[in-house]
Parts: sequence; structure tokens; C-alpha cells
Amino acid sequence: MGILRLSHVDITVPDLDLATAYYTDVMGMIEVERTTDRVFFKCWDEEDHHSLAVRYHPRVGIDRFSFKVEEDDDLAEMEARVEAFGFHVDRISRGEEIGQGESIRFATPSGHTMELVKEVEKLGSLVPKVNPLPLPPDLPGIAPPRMDHLLVTAEEVGEATRFYTDVLGFRVTEQLLDGDGHQIGTWMERSHSPHDLAVVSGPNGGLHHFAFWLDAWDDVRRSADILAYHAIQIDVGPTRHGITRGSTIYFFDPMGTRNEVFTGGYRPDPDFPTITWTEDNIGKAIFYYEGELNERFMKVHT
Amino acid sequence: MGILRLSHVAIRTPDIELATAYYSEVLGLVETAREHERVYMKCWDEHQHHSVILEYAPTYGLNRLGFKVQHRSDLDDLAIRLESVGVRTERFGPGELGPGSGETVRFRAPSGHVTELVWGMAQVGNLLPLTNPPPEPLGLVGIHPPRIDHIFLMCEDVDAVTHFYTDILEFRLTEQVLADDGHQLVTFLERTHTPHDIAFITGPNGAFHHVAFWLDDWNEVRRAADMCSYHGIPIDAGPTRHGATRGYGLYFFDPAGNRNEVFTGGYWSDPDREPITWTEAEIGRAVFYYEGVVDHRFMTVHS
Repeated sequence: MGILRLSHVDITVPDLDLATAYYTDVMGMIEVERTTDRVFFKCWDEEDHHSLAVRYHPRVGIDRFSFKVEEDDDLAEMEARVEAFGFHVDRISRGEEIGQGESIRFATPSGHTMELVKEVEKLGSLVPKVNPLPLPPDLPGIAPPRMDHLLVTAEEVGEATRFYTDVLGFRVTEQLLDGDGHQIGTWMERSHSPHDLAVVSGPNGGLHHFAFWLDAWDDVRRSADILAYHAIQIDVGPTRHGITRGSTIYFFDPMGTRNEVFTGGYRPDPDFPTITWTEDNIGKAIFYYEGELNERFMKVHT
Repeated sequence: MGILRLSHVAIRTPDIELATAYYSEVLGLVETAREHERVYMKCWDEHQHHSVILEYAPTYGLNRLGFKVQHRSDLDDLAIRLESVGVRTERFGPGELGPGSGETVRFRAPSGHVTELVWGMAQVGNLLPLTNPPPEPLGLVGIHPPRIDHIFLMCEDVDAVTHFYTDILEFRLTEQVLADDGHQLVTFLERTHTPHDIAFITGPNGAFHHVAFWLDDWNEVRRAADMCSYHGIPIDAGPTRHGATRGYGLYFFDPAGNRNEVFTGGYWSDPDREPITWTEAEIGRAVFYYEGVVDHRFMTVHS
């Protein structure tokens, strides 16, 4: 019932070939489809058509992000709720968007275009359904099994969060409060993980990063080796988060969109209490080992 | 909506002091309450009152298992479904079944296991503060898994029990081992979008194969093996990898002879993901991916 997990992120890039080379050879995703101005990628263990779409545009940015819902009638229910909140909802029919069926699309108070999708064309993972290997051999690059979460920026974090929780049914696992008690960061989940979507203070409509799942801390270390080998600019890490307890590296794709690889965390039940971080502990909250933030991490987004 | 996850297991032990010492000092669980002939324990990161209950008995085995449901109304809905297929249910109020217990629906599943559905178990908090918490508490002893993960049971008719779990309790089948004649030898079922919350293997009804606790990664599984060896705990199998679930596991026995596992890895499973099938010829790889063979003890010893 309701939203299941992050389905895909659609970003803009000024160089489709460079983006494709990076997301396949370095990140280790699989190119599944290409049009004149768009390329679609999935991770090896994902069965759905794509988890990342890049579109040619002179400026780097985010077009939209999309969550998968569990049941057929979730789309109609969510459409009614978003409209009751006072926001216009567009219906996307099957066949209108590559790889996906009936969907709804709307603007959110954080200034993002969000999409909910039920039916996604199934391509299958790279392992068979009979006597499968635990992972396909000889995958190039980092090769995460799947997409995990994204972090966006909003001017009014509290207001944005209320939309995602009250209208869309996300649950707040952790929050970062400033000295006045206002939310300056919130972490929200639907998948019983620390976060599927997070919002931090910044301009409306911004993308801070999207993150791929890795199975273990040792895979995070191996990712750092691969990034260094390919001369990819590492932003922060390998390190650990206080918030989410996850282990991580942040880095930039060659056009400037921030990526993360992430593992760890915990499994919250829907009735678990929210964890609060105070602004005087913001360093440890974000980077548990360093205990402080860098300027770039706070300011750079796309 | 419906069942969220495995909540608790009640395990029989003929020596409650020895069992308590093992589950607290070797496995590293936290004791939360004690009654005459019964000890309640939880893992460090669990908010709820207990995930393991040790109960005195002249023998070993499983007394009960429990699943947590998301809403109070799920108890009524599931009780009606159970009664509609002739499964008798009993209802207990909060606290009626002992310290911390929530509202409970109890029934005997077709596998012969006494099973509970619980809502509103007391929350005692994990071992961390809710403001600016460190990622884990210092000074934990033993293996100290953060939480319970899944349970593995035996039953005579795996096909029928699997149908009961999918049709009545709305579990989803993620993987199965099929015999050459097409019947199910082993099935893996989930509610949490993981490879399994419960699994069934062919054997006597009511038998307990193992309960598994989550670890965060493979290195922790290796460390758990160090702990078992240090304490003289008999290791059954591992550290190794499973073909089915893709997880990493280590099996060992508690002092009464109940099998425990520590487990990590796996994958995310959408509700519309097609199940994986293992053929009987590949059962070795399905169970122990590195060894490629299953030993007799693993297939037959239960409690």
C-alpha cells in the first residue's frame, strides 16, 4: 500500500557521451535504452527498466524524481490527496514515457517535479531465475546492485517535509534542528530503511545527490579505489554518517552532479520514534568521523 | 498494513541459567525482564521489549514464534481470515502474556507451530539516546547483533504450508527449492522486502531448524565465528555464503542444542519480483554456495 521505494531519477547533462561513459564504465550501470537526447540506465540487480535517465541540456540539473507505488489504486489515491492539498496533477499514460506505464506527475512544495509510477517495464536482473549466481561475474566499475535514495534542497524544509509525510505517507526517521527548533534537514522513509528521500536547507528545486546501495563497507573502500583510478573528484569520504549510521563516499560525475555510494543503516518500524540532531552537533551528524562539514558539501548542488 | 516482520521467538531450554549466560554473553543480547522459568531478551538496536524469550522445559525446541503487525486492525482482519479457513484463534490483551507483551492473536499454523500476531508490544528504546546518538553503543559484549532477522522451520508438507502463508498471511515467495517431481522442498517467504522473514524445509511438523540474527556485514560474520570458537560453541556450518538469499551465514548451536544463525547480505525484493527456483540437483549450492553440498546434519538436525 502506498509508496514502495525510489524508482528513478532524471537528470540533465551537457554531454550525453561523457555521461554514458561515466555511468557505465565507472559507476558500472547498464545502458538499457537511448534516444536522440536521452540515455537510460539500470543497476545490475534491478529488474525494472531504469533507475537513472540522463537528458541532454546545456545546464546540469534535475528534471524529476520518481517513486514506485505498490498497488494499482495507489495512483488514484495519491492523485486525490495531492489535488486536495491544492497542487495540480498530470496523468502520464502508458507509452508516453519510455519504460513506464500509467504514472502521475506533480510539483512539490520543495519546488521539485515528482512522479509516482506503478508499472515499470521489467527487463530482469543480470542473474537468471533458476539456480542463479549470487552476482554476475566481471561487472565493470563500482557496479552497485541498486539505487537507494536521494537528497534534495528546499527553502522551507519543515513545509516540504509536511507535504511528503502528511500527503504522501513518508515517515521521518531523523531530523536536524537549528537553535530555534526549525527543521534544517529531514530524513524520510517508506522502505523501512533510514531514508528513501531527504531534504536539507537550500534553494527550492535543487538536487544535492542521489545514492547507490552497496552491500558492505569493504565495497565502499573498493569504490574509492575505482574512483581514484578514474580520476573522479571525491567530495567526502570514505566515512560514516551520524545520521542514518551509514557508511559512504560522495563524489561528482564528470558534469558536476553529486553521487553517493552508501551502505549500512538500520531497519525502523513505522512506530519507532524520530531521532533528533541539534545544530551544534551538525558536523558529527553528517560526517561522524570528521565531526565537521566542508563548505563544498554545504553549498554545491545541481 | 498486515504483517511487518518477525517479532519474537520463545525457545525451550532445560537449563535457563546456562541459556541466559549464552544468549547474553556469547550472542550478546540484553536481558529486559525475568519471571519464574522465563527470561526476556532483546538485541541492542531493537526498540521493543523482547525478541527472544527463554522458557524452562525438560527439552529443547520452539514454543512459539511471533510476527509484528503494523495496525491494531490487522489483528482483527487476520483473525477473521484464519477463522475462515478453520484455524482457531485465541486473543490476549496487552500484558496478558507476560512483561511487555502487546495485544496478541495466537493460532497453530498448519506446520504445527504455535504462531502469534502482536501489535503494541511495549517499547523500551534501543541502547542509544534519541538526540545526537552515536552509531552504536560502546561496551557491547559477544556477537551483539543489532536485531533478529528471520526464522527457519520444518514441516511435512511445504507446499501446503507455503500456500497458507501466502494466501492467508500475505507473505510473498522469494525463492524455492523444487524436487524433481515438482513439489517444494524448501521455500523462502518475506514481508520486509528482504529475501526472507520465514522459511520452511521438509521435515517433521513443529520442528525448529534455526533462528537468525542480522549482522551488518561479512566481516562481522567472521568476528562471530571467532567469538563462537573462543567460547567453545559448536559451529554447525560456515562462515559461508548461501545461493538462496545470497546471504552470508554462520550456524551454531546454543547450549541446549537449538540452532542459531548470524546472517547478512541478501537483496531488496519488490512485491512484483518473480520468485527464484533452485532445482533439486543444485540444492547444495542453494544452501551452501561455496561448498556446493549440504551435509546430513544441516538437513536433519532440528530441535
